[in-house]
Amino acid sequence: MTWDQLIWYAAIAVMCWVAGAVLAFRSSRRWTAVVASLAGSAVFMAFIIGMWIALERPPMRTMGETRLWYSFFLSIAGIAVYVRWRYKWILSFSTLMSVVFICVNLLKPEIHSKSLMPALQSVWFVPHVIVYMFAYAMMGAVTIFALYLWLKKYDATDEELSACDNLVRIGWAFLTLGMIMGALWAKEAWGDFWTWDPKETWAAATWLSYLLYLHIRGHVKDQNTLFALLIFSFLLLQMCWYGINYLPSAQGASIHVY
Amino acid sequence: MTLQWGYKRAFGRCALLFVAGTALQMIFGDLNNEFLRYPWGLIIALNYLYLLVLIHFQKHRWKWLGQLADHYACTSALASMVVMTIIFGLTRQDPASEGIVGMLGFSRMTSSWAFNLLLLYFTTTTGLAVMEDLQHIRKRRVAAVLSHAAVFVVLVAGIFGSGDKLRVSVTLQKGQPSHWGISREGEQVDLPFVLTLDEFRMEEYAPKLYVLDAMTEQSSRDFLSVEQAGDEATIDGWHLTAVENLDMAGHMPDSDEYRAMEHVGAAPAVYVRARNFRTGVEREGWVSCGSFVFEPSYLFLDDRLAVAMPRREAKHYLSRLQVVEEDGAHHNFDIEVNHPARVGAWRIYQMGYDTQRGRWSEVSVVECVRDGWYSAVHIALWTMLVAGVVMFLTAGGRKVAIKQGKEAKQ
Repeated sequence: MTWDQLIWYAAIAVMCWVAGAVLAFRSSRRWTAVVASLAGSAVFMAFIIGMWIALERPPMRTMGETRLWYSFFLSIAGIAVYVRWRYKWILSFSTLMSVVFICVNLLKPEIHSKSLMPALQSVWFVPHVIVYMFAYAMMGAVTIFALYLWLKKYDATDEELSACDNLVRIGWAFLTLGMIMGALWAKEAWGDFWTWDPKETWAAATWLSYLLYLHIRGHVKDQNTLFALLIFSFLLLQMCWYGINYLPSAQGASIHVY
Repeated sequence: MTLQWGYKRAFGRCALLFVAGTALQMIFGDLNNEFLRYPWGLIIALNYLYLLVLIHFQKHRWKWLGQLADHYACTSALASMVVMTIIFGLTRQDPASEGIVGMLGFSRMTSSWAFNLLLLYFTTTTGLAVMEDLQHIRKRRVAAVLSHAAVFVVLVAGIFGSGDKLRVSVTLQKGQPSHWGISREGEQVDLPFVLTLDEFRMEEYAPKLYVLDAMTEQSSRDFLSVEQAGDEATIDGWHLTAVENLDMAGHMPDSDEYRAMEHVGAAPAVYVRARNFRTGVEREGWVSCGSFVFEPSYLFLDDRLAVAMPRREAKHYLSRLQVVEEDGAHHNFDIEVNHPARVGAWRIYQMGYDTQRGRWSEVSVVECVRDGWYSAVHIALWTMLVAGVVMFLTAGGRKVAIKQGKEAKQ
C-alpha cells in the first residue's frame, strides 16, 4: 500500500458515504443508509490498515496521517449520531467534512517514511492518538450540530440541546482520556507529566473550554452563549491540533512536532 | 443577555486576583517556588486542605465563604483559566523576554503571580466541589465525583509539590563512575547513588538516498530506503538501484572504493547505479553519510544534482548502567527512551548521546528525576482515566434542566 493509492480508496469510500447520506433522506429504511456509510468507513479503514502494514508502524506520526484517522472517525461519529438520534442531515455533514480532510491530504501529501523516533515507540502512542482523533471528530460533529441549531429560525428544543450535551460529554470524555494518556506517556518518556509545551497549553485551553460549557449548561438559558462557546471551543481545538504549527509563539518551542 | 449579579461578583473577584497578581509581579518579579521545598510544601498543602475543610463547614454561616463554593465561582474560575491558558498559548514562553509582556509575567506564565493566584482560586473552587461531593455522595454522578477529586489532587500536587521536583542531568563516559550531575538551574547536585555506563548500544533505520540539488540545497521529496542490495526507486527522473549495501564500511585514504569494515567509526555505504529516464545517462558510485572518521561520499549525476545519504535515524538506543546506592545495594539496568529505571524515589531517564559519533558514542546523557509527589499524581491520573471511561459510558440519555433560584447556587 502506498500513499498514491489513497485517491482510489477515498473515491470508493466517499461514494459509499454519499450514498448513505442520500439514503438517509430518500429511503424509509434507516439501515440502508447505515450499511452504505459503514461500507465507506470500512473501505477507508482498509487503506489505513494497509498503510499501517506497509509502513511497519502505526500511521499516526505526521499531520497527514492524523487527518486519515480524522476522516475515518468523522464518518463513524456521523453514523453513531444518525443511529442514536436519527438526524438525517448529519451523514451529509460528516461526509462533507471527511471529504474536506481527504482533499487536504490529496493536495498536500506528506512524506510517510517508516521511521518512528524512539520517543514515539510507546504503548501509549496508538491509544493516545486514536482517542484524541475520535474526540476531535465528536467535537467536529457537535460544532456542525451547534451551527445548525444556531442558524435555525426557531429556538433549539430540549431534545436537540440534550443531543448536543451528550455529544460534548462523549467528546470531552475522550479529550480527557487522550490528555491523561499523554501525561502518563510524558512521564515515562521525559520525566514530567506536564510541561506546558505549546501543544499541551492549547490542549488544556480546549479541555477547560468544553468543561466550562458542561458547567454552565445547566445555568445559562441563553442559547446564543452556549452555541458561541461551543464554536469558540472548537476553534481552540483547531489551534491545538494544527494551529500551533503556524503560531509565532509556538515556533521551535514544541516537542510535539514530528 | 444581562449578567446576573452572582456572575458580576465572581468575575469581579477574578479580575481583582488578576490585578493583584500583576501588581505583585511588578513589585516582586517572578514567583519563586523554592519556599515550597520539603517539608514546607507539604506543611503548606496540609494547612491549605485544613482551610478548605473549614470553609466548607463554615460556608453556611458566612455568606462570603459560601460564595467561593457556588456555581458562579466555579464558572468564573473555569473561564479565567481558559483566558489565562489562551494568553499562555499566545505568548512565547521565554524567561529572557523583556518589555510589557515580560513585565506582566506572561512570558514566564508558570512563575507569574496572576496565573498562580487564579490557578489557586480554580483549585479552591474544585476542592470545595470535592467536599460537597463527599458530603452528598449519593446524589452525585460517579464521573463528576471522580473527575473533581482527581483534578483537585493533580492541582494540589502540581502547586505545592512544584518546589520538590529535582531534575539532574548526568553525562556518563563509558566505564567512568559518576555520582553528581547538573540541575536545570545549573547547580551541581550530588546524587545518592553512583552511576556507571557499561555499554551504549544503538540500532539505526536503513539508510535513505535522496537526490540533492546542490544549487538550491533542496533534497528530493521521494527517497530510496535501502534495506538490501537490489532495492530500487525512481526519484526526480533518475532510476536509482542499490547494487551493493554495506552496513559497516570504510575506505583507504587514497581510494574512493568502500569495503566492509567492522571497526569503530565504520559508516554505512551503498554502491548506487543511476540512470536518467530522459537522456539515458548512467552514473554509478559509492554513496555514504560518513561518520566521525570518514567524510560523506556523494554520487554526482550532473552539474547540480547528486545522490546523497543523510545521517541514519536512530531506531532504538540503550544504556546499560550499573547503579550502586549509598548503602551498597547494587543494580544493573538497561534504560532507553520510554523505559526509565527506578531507584528509590528517583527515576533515571535516557536522554541523549554523542550525536557526532552516533552508534559509536561512548557517552550517554541520562537524567535523574526525583518527584516526591509522583504516586499521588499517578493515582489521580488513573482515577481520571476511569472517570473518562465512566463519563463516556454514561453520556447518553441524561437531560439538563436549567436550574433556577436557590438550586442554581449549589
